[in-house]
Amino acid sequence: MDLRECYEELEGSFEEVSKRLPREAMIKKFVLKFLSDKSFENLTTSVENHDYSTAFMAAHTLKGVCQNLAFTRLFESSNLITEALRGDNHDESLIAELIERVKTDYKITVDAIEKLSE
Amino acid sequence: MQKKSKQKILIVDDSEMNRAFLIDMLEKDFDIIEAENGVQAIQIINSGNIPPDLMLLDIVMPEMDGFEVLSAMNEYGIINEIPVIMISAENDSSCIERAYEMGVTDYISRPFNVAVVRRRVMNTLALHAKQKRLMRIITEQVYEKEKNNNMMVNILSHIVEFRNGESGMHCRNIFSITNILLQCLVEKTDKYNLTSKDISLITISSALHDIGKISIPGAILNKPGRLTTEEFEIMKTHTTVGASLLDGLPIYRDDPLVKVARDICRWHHERYDGRGYPDGLKGEEIPISAQIVALADVYDALTSERCYKKAFSHEKAFNMINNGECGQFSPLLLECLADTHTAIIKELQFHSSEEIQEMQLHNLVDELVQLNESNDFMPPIIQIEKELEKAKFFSIQAEELRFDYDCRTSVAVISGWGAELLGISRTTLNLSGKDADILKNESVQDFIARLKDTSPENPELTGNVQFNAKGVQICGKIIAKTMWADNNSSKYIGVIGKLSHPENIPQ
Repeated sequence: MDLRECYEELEGSFEEVSKRLPREAMIKKFVLKFLSDKSFENLTTSVENHDYSTAFMAAHTLKGVCQNLAFTRLFESSNLITEALRGDNHDESLIAELIERVKTDYKITVDAIEKLSE
Repeated sequence: MQKKSKQKILIVDDSEMNRAFLIDMLEKDFDIIEAENGVQAIQIINSGNIPPDLMLLDIVMPEMDGFEVLSAMNEYGIINEIPVIMISAENDSSCIERAYEMGVTDYISRPFNVAVVRRRVMNTLALHAKQKRLMRIITEQVYEKEKNNNMMVNILSHIVEFRNGESGMHCRNIFSITNILLQCLVEKTDKYNLTSKDISLITISSALHDIGKISIPGAILNKPGRLTTEEFEIMKTHTTVGASLLDGLPIYRDDPLVKVARDICRWHHERYDGRGYPDGLKGEEIPISAQIVALADVYDALTSERCYKKAFSHEKAFNMINNGECGQFSPLLLECLADTHTAIIKELQFHSSEEIQEMQLHNLVDELVQLNESNDFMPPIIQIEKELEKAKFFSIQAEELRFDYDCRTSVAVISGWGAELLGISRTTLNLSGKDADILKNESVQDFIARLKDTSPENPELTGNVQFNAKGVQICGKIIAKTMWADNNSSKYIGVIGKLSHPENIPQ
């Protein structure tokens, strides 16, 4: 699977990322590097522990990385959960709902990237 | 040809992935330092190493977030030293505004375009470098101008002293005592409304207090015995002559420095009880500038040798002044003298031209802080001052003999502690003249001979020495570095270094 197909599968925008990062090799390098990024793991663990300030930071980082790589689908759900986690008044049921969405989107994203590296 | 060193960029972001993005686009042209959070960033800035040339700062981070880093940088006054570009996925306009208000140079929102980030980094660095260079030029010029000013005043007062057969240290001592007393006085009272500018003016013009003596015949000026009544009357005119000299200046007559100097010349022999000369002013009728210099003058006259007397000890001089044996002074000034007596003794016994320059620089900095509301051009001056202060602190704490030798003048400047070790009261040594004895020792000569093996590429040299200074055997390890005008020089122009862990060996 090439990079363009991978972006299609994870519902991102290859056009957008190509505008921001000059070379395809660089895009590929960072897309692969996404697999070792710890922010998703930090997000799920801290939501489980109801540690929402740590969760906010992790979600914020995940959102930023997705934005830079133009992983549109995962960006949208991580952006929503970032806003749900911001501040002190947390709607726990909303967070529970959104974390499931992030998990689903993360799996779709990671699965697509893993096919790329094969 | 030496390779040009790269500029340093500090990247502060908790996400390794985000740092990697930035590093990837910048590492070719810059040296990169990474920090995972605000605390690390502040530690890196305060580590004492050369600070980064630019900082890329994320907002949302654990430990200490980007705004906390900015507020710390504002608190330490380093926000003007290191340009900051904020990079964040926070695109809220209040966030961006807050960042600008806290002094960031630029704000880049995620997702960013690689080429744009690179360009913005380059532009910020170029602008900042230009600004820094301009600030340095101004600082150097102000410093140079101030130095020349002081030098001219010193030359002038030295001419008077020279004729007077005085030690040459008189003006310097008056300068130091006046400064110490004034600093103490403003801490005690604000009734004289003395600004730091006034203090600096009084201190500098103190050196001119005796310029009227150029009109006094040498026979009277240098008469070893007691002056007759007529002779004393002539001697007394040095106050009024000095004042009219300055009053008669065709230009600069109304300059604050000239006015202060005039008051000091005319009234530095008035007494607080009204029995002084030339005008018999009493109490606070005498300007505070003249009161202070009068006290400094008497103190130094008592503790120095003159053609008509021997030097008294500091304690004796202090007691004589307090008992009213040598003039009458305001009780407040006597209190200042009592409070600062130890500091004065230390200063007089142990000062070198470097320290005076440093003191003047302190005054200069205070003055600039007051004069200049905008602190845009303060940082480099504060830096010089800070460096001097640090160097002085370490040289006192380190208990080591440090030296800085200039081959062109054969003059070596050593640390105060070093001078004490060698049993001398000066920190400036003339190694081709009267202080040459210090080098007359086999191990020292060996070390000096080995200095010729150093080069601009390998300028450092260590060695053990053992020598005799004023009857005491001293041994230790010398670490030295030769200084070169440029990489193609064949001969070094100076040597700096230190003698570490020196030990006195009793004979």
